[in-house]
Amino acid sequence: MEFTREIYWNVGHGFTTLAPMYGLLLVALVVLARGCLKRLKVYRLGKPLDRTDQRGERVKNLLDNVFLQTQVYRVPGPGTAHSLFFWSFFILAIGTALIVAQADFTDLFFGVKFLKGTFYKLFSITLDLAGLLAIAMLGGLLVRRYLLRPEGLITKPDDALMHGLLLAILITGFVIEGARMAVTEMGTPLAPWSPVGLMTAHLLGGLGEGALRTLHAGLWWFHLLLALAFIAVIPFTKFRHILTTSANSFLSDLGPTGKLTTINLEDETIEKFGASGLTDLRWKDIFDADACTVCKRCQDRCPAFATGKPLSPMRVVNQIGEIAFTQPEANLIDTVDRDAIWACTTCFACQDICPASIEHVGKIIEMRRNLVLMEGEFPGEEVMTAMEQTEVNGNPLGMGYASRGDWAESLGIKTLAEDSEVDVLYFVGCYASFDKRNIAVAKSFVKLCQAAGIKVGILGKEEKCCGEPMRKMGNEYLYQTLAMETVETIKGYGVKKIVTTCPHCFNTLAKDYRDFDFDIPVEHHAVFLEQLINTGKLRIKTDAFSCTYHDSCYLGRHNNLYEAPRNLIQSAGGKLTEMAQNRDQAFCCSAGGGRIMAEENIGDRINVKRVRMAVSTGAEQLVSNCPFCLTMFEDGVKGADVEAQLRPKDLAEILAERLVD
Amino acid sequence: MKILICIKQVPDMESKFKINADGKWYDRTDLAWRMNEYDEYAVEQAVRLKEQVGEVDLTVLCIGPDQVKETMKKALAMGCDRGVHIADNDSHTREPIEIAAMVADFAKDKNFDIIFTGMQSQDRGSAQVGVMVAELLGLPAITTIVAFTFENGTVQVKRELEGGGKALVSAAIPVVLTCQLGLNTPRYPTLPNIMKAKKKELLTLAVPDLSGIGACQETAACYFPERKGSGIVLEGELPEMADKLIHLLKEKTGVLA
Repeated sequence: MEFTREIYWNVGHGFTTLAPMYGLLLVALVVLARGCLKRLKVYRLGKPLDRTDQRGERVKNLLDNVFLQTQVYRVPGPGTAHSLFFWSFFILAIGTALIVAQADFTDLFFGVKFLKGTFYKLFSITLDLAGLLAIAMLGGLLVRRYLLRPEGLITKPDDALMHGLLLAILITGFVIEGARMAVTEMGTPLAPWSPVGLMTAHLLGGLGEGALRTLHAGLWWFHLLLALAFIAVIPFTKFRHILTTSANSFLSDLGPTGKLTTINLEDETIEKFGASGLTDLRWKDIFDADACTVCKRCQDRCPAFATGKPLSPMRVVNQIGEIAFTQPEANLIDTVDRDAIWACTTCFACQDICPASIEHVGKIIEMRRNLVLMEGEFPGEEVMTAMEQTEVNGNPLGMGYASRGDWAESLGIKTLAEDSEVDVLYFVGCYASFDKRNIAVAKSFVKLCQAAGIKVGILGKEEKCCGEPMRKMGNEYLYQTLAMETVETIKGYGVKKIVTTCPHCFNTLAKDYRDFDFDIPVEHHAVFLEQLINTGKLRIKTDAFSCTYHDSCYLGRHNNLYEAPRNLIQSAGGKLTEMAQNRDQAFCCSAGGGRIMAEENIGDRINVKRVRMAVSTGAEQLVSNCPFCLTMFEDGVKGADVEAQLRPKDLAEILAERLVD
Repeated sequence: MKILICIKQVPDMESKFKINADGKWYDRTDLAWRMNEYDEYAVEQAVRLKEQVGEVDLTVLCIGPDQVKETMKKALAMGCDRGVHIADNDSHTREPIEIAAMVADFAKDKNFDIIFTGMQSQDRGSAQVGVMVAELLGLPAITTIVAFTFENGTVQVKRELEGGGKALVSAAIPVVLTCQLGLNTPRYPTLPNIMKAKKKELLTLAVPDLSGIGACQETAACYFPERKGSGIVLEGELPEMADKLIHLLKEKTGVLA
């Protein structure tokens, strides 16, 4: 016998079937299109932004994120279930499309049938198992949402509709198949190729053919209506994420990771800076709200949220969506709330994990820009003071600028003003220049460079803050002032390479300054020192010690540098015990996003929480790569009362302690 | 209403100070400059008054070398309407009466309703210029104000007194007020205002004839305070510390004699 089946069995393939079927499909598509167009109008309230450049890269992102589900399955459990559900449902959709293609096109017009023979057998079992998998995964997700109810998961009527509709489509599909098989396929060699269908057929076996045919025909139309309803409601329910989230992976920010937009301060026609209303945002910021699936991954990883601060990156995104569709004139900053806006550490955990390519951080910075540049508002007076200090002395600590290079006296290194013929310029940064604890890191780094025969120069009193904390706090004007001065100073010396011991300086010089025609290579000391060791220039004793390593946000998530620091620890003989939240899942120290300048006076202390995570590894040292992290951890070990158990250290210190004489 | 705000550019107090060559003032190298803290309160209060009353013209006046214009720009960005710079490279050698005379010379025919100054400058700290301006112009002066209200042509202020007391004083305009810490929190200039400030009028005037002003004071020398002996922290158990203390008091002082 030929392995195939009669398409439109029992419902007929005549006008009375096809006309209502395609008629209703058309209605569903029109409803879908109208719903989408209505939303499109709302996206257009935002400012223009080109997100259709670099199409190759964008298409690759689309394929990766949608068809391979790479971002989705990063979170085991719900992510896995969604991916498997997507793939199986996608297979079912393709299967349905193949049926339509044969019955209403190739067979109808050309008499060509391809759903036959071995291909049909494979087709049959694939769809059958896909259906089963889809039901299983949907069931799992349903149990999670309605029975397990994970903390923070927001469940709305939308979710019930989605679960119900999809389950109904899948189950009716199997019942239709079972009824058809009970009448036509029982005992044939084809039957085992639809194991779930066969099982359903057995369950329905007691009914006579007449009843089976009535059931089949009724359910066939019902299944069709459900499927069309599914298509029609896409723009009106969270189903819209099928379109918006997919589209967003094409429209995503292609980087460099975390780089903010640079305001053109020369443009005198700009009268408003930052965002205080919906129309100050870019259309992508509004679209993001529609792409959000409320999966709460961002919220789960937000250090501010985890310590009881009024910020949830998910809520910010949803609030933007809410006012966009209900009251676009509303004040954005009042809606989101100032305390939420100020709480962000720009740690990028939200954006990094987001399966919907949403850009949370930029939105928060835009609101901060408005508060700072238009209102002169800061999270506290201490931040305003730090800004003023930076204007006067080039550092937020308020130390006299002329003493910036004092830490290096007697180390045998010169400023570029004294001698600009150097191998590398060490851009020291404010903390390593003025803060006693971090001066020790700067000295260690210089010691390592000297041991490796690297001639290091510094800018001394000519160095100023790179502007990173000010920029992240919203003070774009002060940032650009500092950036332009720094670019001019460094370029003036014909520097070949820059090394920083601060990932914030590194990120700013390497990424942000590109907007000011600055293209001198910049390295973070972790990478620089690793090269010195690998090339044999720097020799380190392996001297066993136990430690855990904290990935700073700006070396890790912002720059994807996870291995160099770990290699350094290993080459020094460190036994590294990882914290549960490491690498791209690392929990911020609290000081990013300009928060280093601010008091943390809402909720629990982020640094203490992170220190507790480090303590629980049982390690003796907490190694990091950032002056802000080090400062917060020195404070955190006191806050957690573990000064005797855990010593915060910088990578450079670990190595300098083990220099081969 | 017309208001004059007198400001001074001073070095940031965190700077590395050195005594200059003639030994009578600090050297200007390696200093970071900013607006005298007390003058910031003056500017802020004037801008707030303008926000309250509306029809007010704020003139900010500063005496010194060309670089003081940078500090004046901040006052303009905070909300002053125009700037007057009296170009004087020797301003740091002037005694308070000379500075006051320059201000009074400028203000005498301008009918300012209120003149705000800082209570003193952070570098010289004489606290005399404001009151001398008032005297030269024949106006009442209220010093060290920490609170300010204005209604129907009358200012009502709180003055800080010795020992933490306050005095409530009112005066009809015109009046000179010198501003003290606690009066207000100076604003951070917004970017549009910084941009606007660049286009505001900034007039530079020459030093007026000061020949009628007799010199009253002379700075003999400027020096860092002598390093005196440092404190001692006693450590150990209580009885032990008490013994050490008695020993020290006997040895180094006469209190137990």
